[in-house]
Amino acid sequence: MPRRRLLLLVVLGLTLALSAFFFFFQDRGETPRDPGDVSVPQETGSLPEDAAVKTVVLFFLSENDGLLHPEERTIPAGPSVEWEARRLVEELIKGSRTGLISPLPPESELRQVFIDRGGTVVVDFSREFADRHPSGTSAEMATIYCLVNSLTRNFDAIKRVFILVNGSERETLSGHISLAEPFLPLPSLIAQ
Amino acid sequence: MAKQSRLLAAFLLVGLVFGFLPAQQAVTVRVQVRDYEDFTRLTLEASSRLETRMTRTGGILEILIDSSASLRFQTTPVSSRLVRSVAWGRSDGRHVLSVVLRSSDFTYNAFTASRPFQLMVDFKEGEAVPPPTAGESAAAPTAARSAVRPSSGIRTIVLDPGHGGIEPGAKGRFGTLEKDITLAIGLKLKAVIEKNLSFRVVMTRDKDIAVSLENRAALANNNDALLFISIHANGSYKQSSHGSETFFLSLNASDEDVRRLAYFENTQSEIEGRIAAQEEEQDVLRMILWDMAQSAYIRQSSRLAELIQAELNALLGTANRGIKQAPFKVLAEVACPAVLVEAAFLSNPDEERRLTTEEFKNNVAQAIYQGLVNYIRLYPPEGGR
Repeated sequence: MPRRRLLLLVVLGLTLALSAFFFFFQDRGETPRDPGDVSVPQETGSLPEDAAVKTVVLFFLSENDGLLHPEERTIPAGPSVEWEARRLVEELIKGSRTGLISPLPPESELRQVFIDRGGTVVVDFSREFADRHPSGTSAEMATIYCLVNSLTRNFDAIKRVFILVNGSERETLSGHISLAEPFLPLPSLIAQ
Repeated sequence: MAKQSRLLAAFLLVGLVFGFLPAQQAVTVRVQVRDYEDFTRLTLEASSRLETRMTRTGGILEILIDSSASLRFQTTPVSSRLVRSVAWGRSDGRHVLSVVLRSSDFTYNAFTASRPFQLMVDFKEGEAVPPPTAGESAAAPTAARSAVRPSSGIRTIVLDPGHGGIEPGAKGRFGTLEKDITLAIGLKLKAVIEKNLSFRVVMTRDKDIAVSLENRAALANNNDALLFISIHANGSYKQSSHGSETFFLSLNASDEDVRRLAYFENTQSEIEGRIAAQEEEQDVLRMILWDMAQSAYIRQSSRLAELIQAELNALLGTANRGIKQAPFKVLAEVACPAVLVEAAFLSNPDEERRLTTEEFKNNVAQAIYQGLVNYIRLYPPEGGR
């Protein structure tokens, strides 16, 4: 009798253990799915960063003729125009690699880039963009059109550029040129 | 290969020498005819000074040129409301430019500028005013002074020395600040105008204080200014940038703005009628008009810029950077002809030094003065407005 009881207990115990095992196994089988689903797009999102690049044309100022000259640069190709535009402006701040003048104060930081439905890109710089600017009509024109011509040249979706400083609209860049309206490209400032 | 290229270079050199020798002796004369809102201007520009006389017979004005040097002519095709054609000819050993007008019912007014030499002849239809004071010879710009006779209601010219107070503007390498240069020139210009003309001069600032750009424009509008002249010194990232330029407002127009502008320019009185009629829209429309106040004066502003730039070229000995447009905040809301003069570059050490001399600042003031005198002569306050 006690042997039978023991056997019954063992069988019961085994069934419990098995069902518990299946219960947890099934749970574990379900739970990995969620992180899996999230991690997969994360991986595909970062993959093109390593693989795909985009060649862009940046405009910088020439000491010789005072016009904007093109300089080719590769930036990582990204998921959106905003993402790529951001990289492009960061490259503009870093400056020229061929000895041209970069008319964006190097201390400037890029805060935000977004594009509205009408094709206006809003570029929001840190306050250094204006505070570290040397001021002067020609200097302000160079800064603005280096940015505007570079952005509109590389992205068809960008038609005009509106500049914010530290998150707000600003009257002028540094006392001269109005920032109240978005800028259209000015091809006449580009060297032919 | 080396021999060949050397031979080629030699040929090129010989070619260049032969090509250029006669060109250097000849004086190049350019003629251009351009329509403006209420007159047509013929501009004769030459690489050196020319003696000119004018005779009028019926619908033809002949400009006779006395010059021992040989002349090379460049004429751009004429397409104008008043001028039918221009043609070069010779008479008694002199060069003659025959200007054929579409009608013999016209008046003209001539004046000159130097460096480069320019003879400008403005044609107007019909009306016998103003009498052609220039008569048979072109009046020198200095003679214009006596021709300015402001009306009894004294008008105001607003001078705007750029920056001030905590806002220094551009800075020179030796520490010169734009705000100091602009104030000094502004005060000199005020003195010259008050000495020679009977206009009231109002300064947006006469000391080293900060004035908002909005208030500068408002000062002009509240005084019903005849002209607004903003004085600046330039700054560039490019170290070698140099020269003088005169700006008027560019309307950095998006598509909507262009439509808004065209609407405003063509039918100002209609819009004003609507304002009265539709009270609900009144505020919005007023705001639009005010935002773009300068857009109604763009043509006159460009004329004023041209005339001031011609005098800067004649008096300063700086490089002529011409007249240009840019979206200046200070000009946008001014409701009268308005320009911004960039006298020279503070970012250029050479020009910074010049900007600090009294002589140079006097010359800038004198040049702007002469330019505005020429402008007032063309657009007398009692008439055009």
